[in-house]
Amino acid sequence: MSVRENLRVMVIDDMGVSRALVTNALDEMGVIHYSAEADPKAALAKLSASPVHLVLCDMNMPGMNGLQLLEALRRQPATANIGFIVITGTPSPDIIQKGQALRLNNLVAKPFDTPKLRTAIEQVIGKRL
Amino acid sequence: MAANDAFRDLFFEEAEDLLATLSDDLVRLSAGEFDNEIVHSIFRAVHSIKGSAGAFSLEELVDFAHRYETVLDGVRSDRLELTPDLFRVVQRSADHLAVLVEAARTEQETDRAVTETALAALDACLCAASATGADPMPTASETPEAGPAQEEPQFGFVPLSLDLDSLAQTGPQSFDICFRPHPSLYENGHEPALLLAQLAELGHLETEIDLSALPHWSAPEIVEQALSWKLRLATDATQDAIEEVFDFVDGLCDLTIQAEGNDMPETVVQNGAPIETATTKLAEPDAAPTATCIEAETAEPASAAKSVAAADTPRPTLRVDLDRIERLFNAVGELIINQSMIAQRVDDLQLHHDADMAVHVESYRLLARDIQEAVMAIRAQPVKPLFQRMSRIVREAADGTGKQAQLVMVGEGTEVDKTVIERLADPLTHMIRNSVDHGLEGPEQRCANGKDPVGTIWLSAAHRSGSVVITIRDDGGGLDREKVLGVAVKKGLVPAGADLSESEIDNLIFLPGFSTASATSLLSGRGVGLDVVRTAVQSLGGRVNIVSRPGKGTEFTIALPLTLAVLDGMLISVGNISMLVPISAVLETIRPLAGEVQAVGPDECLLSIRGRFVPVIDLAANLGVPRAVEADAPMLLLLVETEARGTCALLVDRVHDQRQVVIKGLESNYGHVPGVSAATVLGDGQIALILDPDAIVAQNHGAGLRAVIPS
Repeated sequence: MSVRENLRVMVIDDMGVSRALVTNALDEMGVIHYSAEADPKAALAKLSASPVHLVLCDMNMPGMNGLQLLEALRRQPATANIGFIVITGTPSPDIIQKGQALRLNNLVAKPFDTPKLRTAIEQVIGKRL
Repeated sequence: MAANDAFRDLFFEEAEDLLATLSDDLVRLSAGEFDNEIVHSIFRAVHSIKGSAGAFSLEELVDFAHRYETVLDGVRSDRLELTPDLFRVVQRSADHLAVLVEAARTEQETDRAVTETALAALDACLCAASATGADPMPTASETPEAGPAQEEPQFGFVPLSLDLDSLAQTGPQSFDICFRPHPSLYENGHEPALLLAQLAELGHLETEIDLSALPHWSAPEIVEQALSWKLRLATDATQDAIEEVFDFVDGLCDLTIQAEGNDMPETVVQNGAPIETATTKLAEPDAAPTATCIEAETAEPASAAKSVAAADTPRPTLRVDLDRIERLFNAVGELIINQSMIAQRVDDLQLHHDADMAVHVESYRLLARDIQEAVMAIRAQPVKPLFQRMSRIVREAADGTGKQAQLVMVGEGTEVDKTVIERLADPLTHMIRNSVDHGLEGPEQRCANGKDPVGTIWLSAAHRSGSVVITIRDDGGGLDREKVLGVAVKKGLVPAGADLSESEIDNLIFLPGFSTASATSLLSGRGVGLDVVRTAVQSLGGRVNIVSRPGKGTEFTIALPLTLAVLDGMLISVGNISMLVPISAVLETIRPLAGEVQAVGPDECLLSIRGRFVPVIDLAANLGVPRAVEADAPMLLLLVETEARGTCALLVDRVHDQRQVVIKGLESNYGHVPGVSAATVLGDGQIALILDPDAIVAQNHGAGLRAVIPS
């Protein structure tokens, strides 16, 4: 089986439009196993129970931002090595710095298109999708 | 990305929700509630709109939201102080953002100059901050570089590659599963062997049965929960998949699933259910059947997620095509008619002696009403979004007239039929503008009168006995009755020297052609007067009233029916025709005594009632139908309240009873009939016209009333 058929991804964004755009891009890439979550806290609980390979996460969300979620994931052994890509409209130096400290895997600036997201994912998994 | 239309609709729906949140937050801020969480929430709303708008190439919107967001970011990180001036800019920017979103939705051109002005105001705030502030503040000219329009990621982030193989756990994982069926599992027809077979499909399964609890074969009693299994499953499947196998026996067995490996126990603790407790329970011989380990493991995060969902996100909703609801609505209308027909038929056949039949007919009636109410509730929406739009109108109007005004909303959770809300938007906008423009005084004059320079407009909604009452009240100077009367006389709306009561003068402003032109400004003087408001409200089956107190302010009251689908009416007949008069218009029914009705002129009559004279209108003559009663039969009058001519008495042949009917429009099926607003189908299958008392009174041509005056 190819990578894209094996890769399990979770999309986390409080905005339905953004979720739809990301999952649409995943569809175009042929990634089959993905789920989408609106609430970062619920996503954390789900990831703890059943981890995925890669998380595509928005930055600004109510309750918990993307980096806070990443930090929580890194702290528990089951999810510590999960791949994490932040999708943000404002990739500020602050986010980059904090992200690197938390072993953030990649950063995608909004607006993005499918090739851009594909490149970002391929950079992380080190394989062609 | 060529984002398709479905995403686009979703974007605008979400943007609308975000704008509503934004507006709420701003109200909370202006009420003096300063809390960092509110500022964060405002920031997030603007940020989310910007982020999504980028995907649809809405450049003007993105640019503006970006600048707005920069200012909000300054406030949230304490680089900018939220002064009253800044708050004003923040508020106006929220308004402008709403305008831009609306323009993008309708794909209309926006006034670029307005955006420039709004951007300049935001820039001014940023400049002021960088001039005084010790902290460096990104200025507007810098920000676009880091902005969303940029093509290539230049933020210098080095991607960190992931060792997918280690994460993918290439080798199958082992799970230790304890499974102890309750007797109820067998009672429900489940078979452990099948469950085990299903598990075996997931991977390699080792089973070990625990027979220790099994009594000796000679024991007379069957011991419950005698069998249990210890299973070890090596699989690629997730724990979820294993749990899924046991879905149907959830609560019918004790079950623990534990992944082998160093990390899982911690995960379980993380979820708030220490595994020890669960296993202890399992060891207890008489463990309560519900206290299963699987529940202990999953219940916690599930309930936590639920409470989070309740707090942060609105309740789940379903978006439905409006046409489908319309269809349901029509079907329910027919159902109600059908129900009343059957009830009437049962009555006619005298079947009501049959107790069973009576019970069924009654429950049918109740069911039909239940369905009707439920369907109506689908269309009901809170007036809040409409009211929020009004608060924008108030700010715009205040800016346009150089006045200071605030809007106070009361009862914005009141639910009203969707169509009513939609059709109310224009008249309400007009009245709000009118209140700011004509109602409130300028700040200097207000100060001189000892009032707060900031005028207040109250907008409230409430349910009152089957209707919705919306009031618009201002604390301005009230109507200048002398001027109003003067204008009306000048325009020939009332004869000079007419003796009018205060409320009659107040109501003159609703007359077509009345417009206090000398006082019209750019705002409300858009060629529409309040008569348009009255017409719009009347077309919704409502009425509008005005109460003015000099020096204290003016209050407009709009009373509307809850729905446009059903109507409470008084069933009357004229000639052989059944008709309904809306109950909202009916004051009373009377049989006048001799002498109470007086002839005036050749064919006019007046009813004298409690010291007042009320014109009598002959319905039969007006509708061109012959009367069905003898000329010397006692007169029967229905007193109705009309907008145009106050109280009038309608002469009818018979008054039957009050009933609720389903409104069937005539316009689409037949055509407009003067004096008739719609039709309905009665229980006996007859069609009854629904009268519009106002139209009848307005077109009244009295004819031969003298003949019917009781002597």
